[in-house]
Amino acid sequence: MIGVLFRHHVRLHRMPLIPLALGLALFEWMMTFVAREPSVSNFLSSALRAAPPQFLALLNQDLVATVSAQGIIGVGYTHPFALILMAVWAVRVPSAALAGEIGRGTMDLVATRPVVRGAQVVAAFLALLAGLTVLALAAWLGTFVGLVGRPLEGVTPWRYFPVATAMWLCFVAAGTVGILVSALAREAGAAIAWTSGLMAGSYVLDYAARVWPKIASLRPASLFMYYEPQQVVTAGLATSDVEVFGLVAAVALLVAFAAFSSRDL
Amino acid sequence: MLRWRPSLPDRADAFPIRARGLSKRYGRITALEDLTLEVGEGEAFGFLGPNGAGKTTTIRLLLGLLRPNAGEAIVLGKKVSRSVAWRGDVGYLPGDMAFWPRLSGQETLDFLAELTGRPATARVGLLKRLALGAAELTRPVRTYSDGMKQKLGIVQALQCAPRLALLDEPTKGLDPLMQQAFYEIVTEMRRHGATVFLSSHIISEVERVCDRVAMLRAGRLVTVGSVVQLREAERRRVVADFSADVDAAALAHFGEVKVAAPRHVELLVAQSQVTALVARLGMLPLADLLVEHPTLEEAFLEHYR
Repeated sequence: MIGVLFRHHVRLHRMPLIPLALGLALFEWMMTFVAREPSVSNFLSSALRAAPPQFLALLNQDLVATVSAQGIIGVGYTHPFALILMAVWAVRVPSAALAGEIGRGTMDLVATRPVVRGAQVVAAFLALLAGLTVLALAAWLGTFVGLVGRPLEGVTPWRYFPVATAMWLCFVAAGTVGILVSALAREAGAAIAWTSGLMAGSYVLDYAARVWPKIASLRPASLFMYYEPQQVVTAGLATSDVEVFGLVAAVALLVAFAAFSSRDL
Repeated sequence: MLRWRPSLPDRADAFPIRARGLSKRYGRITALEDLTLEVGEGEAFGFLGPNGAGKTTTIRLLLGLLRPNAGEAIVLGKKVSRSVAWRGDVGYLPGDMAFWPRLSGQETLDFLAELTGRPATARVGLLKRLALGAAELTRPVRTYSDGMKQKLGIVQALQCAPRLALLDEPTKGLDPLMQQAFYEIVTEMRRHGATVFLSSHIISEVERVCDRVAMLRAGRLVTVGSVVQLREAERRRVVADFSADVDAAALAHFGEVKVAAPRHVELLVAQSQVTALVARLGMLPLADLLVEHPTLEEAFLEHYR
């Protein structure tokens, strides 16, 4: 039954996935072009040196790393455009899968079939994973095609595979929190609002904690603290970051499972 | 001819629906209070009540969509809260039919049959009866009229030939021709031993289709019995025409005078009073007399007045 429900979610959401994936691939491909232009690097270098620390914190980048070609490509993975495209899927699918079905009235058709409620949560999670996998791969393929087509000295596309993986993990965790929200909500609109709010709040908290020392201790509460592409490019995926994303996803999934199994539909 | 698999009654589910002390509250509002009900195998059971009486809540409790605050529901011999396998033998038509707007009718039926886990043996026959053709089925459901959505709803509920069908307002939005087709479908289902639980506002529909009826009011079961029993238990309608003017007030102690004209009187009279009333009418210049059972509608209205 999980397979049937999974295919159902894919059928309902596959159309938006195509432009999202193309947008990400194109964006990361363009970043490889931006990175190879010395004039751009020089401009960025001088601009960033003159920029206030709050702006650098927004970029979440190491200054020296960012102005290198390798760093500029890495910026493509923390740029709000890329993050928003990933977030669209991480908000849309979980919100529609549970709360959306309840709000529309179609949950009655599904939940009166011999399907355990936990299967619905798992199917939503699998649809989330599948879409995010496509998007993260599309982003990396954009980088790959850009760098293979016109190689940059000292920069290999394979360095960005772990970056795309980190982005995937970050949004899997965020999207699973979205599934939990959806398991508790009665309408897609409420689930979308809450999930988007939590993601935006997490992003703002990460930024604010970096520029405002008084709340620096709150930074670990933000998922985005554990997503640092420049570090991943140079040092690879940190096990501790993977563990945090995994733990958040596992806990959110278990609570969603319990909440959805015991609620009124 | 619908392809329905033969019913396999066993001792465990001689009563496909059993509700014992079923209650549901939403905060301080009581939607259903202490409902105890049994529906027998192969029976067509009507569920009547005004808006907000608890009909839909009852159906949702029976299907496990809602968790009861008290009591238990046993459907096809299984406790609703304990398992889901029994749902493969149940067809459900919601009162407010909703579909996925972008899916076609065909995709919708295929998906729901796949979820049911059984072949849709009755689909072709149902589509034919309800005049849903291949052209309509390939269109997205968002282009369907309300009537077509209702027909699709009936097909999705019954396409896997369930042993128990829970139908909430099944003829809503159907034209008289399709209503007739639906009644024929129910008749045929019952011939194959299927049990039908039908919630409806249309009393003539319940009277036509069902063997037994339950009436619900403000979350409580008011009465349950066969359609004939219910009609018989209610007051008789007595219509008397006279050849000369009479005083209707003189008949008031026999029952409730509904119409009082000089030469025409209509009364609702308890069965025990009918003989005495007829004797009294015989002393008056009686021109014509009609004594009849109330319709189920009259019985219904009497309960809810």
